[in-house]
Amino acid sequence: MATHTLDTLGLKCPQPILKVAAKAKELQPGDILEVIADCHSFPKDIEAWCSRTGKTLLVCADEGGGKYKAQIQF
Amino acid sequence: MSKKVAIVCNGAEPKNLYPTFVLASSAVASGDEVILFFTPGAAPALKKGELEKIKSKGMPDMKELVEGVENLGGRLLLCELALEAKDLKKEELRDGVEIVGATSFMADINDAQITFSF
Repeated sequence: MATHTLDTLGLKCPQPILKVAAKAKELQPGDILEVIADCHSFPKDIEAWCSRTGKTLLVCADEGGGKYKAQIQF
Repeated sequence: MSKKVAIVCNGAEPKNLYPTFVLASSAVASGDEVILFFTPGAAPALKKGELEKIKSKGMPDMKELVEGVENLGGRLLLCELALEAKDLKKEELRDGVEIVGATSFMADINDAQITFSF
């Protein structure tokens, strides 16, 4: 199990999700992906993506200043 | 469950291309099978390097959306009528574009659950 991080600051919908999808190819089951984002729709988008792709959204925290940090369990 | 998504693009302007590629990239990122069909009006956008020139205030980077669609398995189909109608040669088109007739496109999307036209 490894933890990976992905910085999507400054990217607009749906680019953060595209980056997550591209990164997902490198991850193994059990790995955790931490994603930093400042796109307004990110919390709902990442929730929807996890639901569609069968991943577990552990948390999507509002970090303040318009930033979010999500942890996804693969 | 992944779905089959068909999007028809009717023009080569940002108002046609942005919704096409924003929704297509979101769908391929979520595991959907995505087929984009470009009618003759949209054909100029498929010339090499043209999509990369599209920019619009407040909108995401078109180049990245297109790369996302292409890298995650989305298909770009061009209506064969466009070649003569728009004086286009196959060599002028971006790599990976498939030139198809209406009947094969309709057969391809016969089982699509989601369709859009922009």
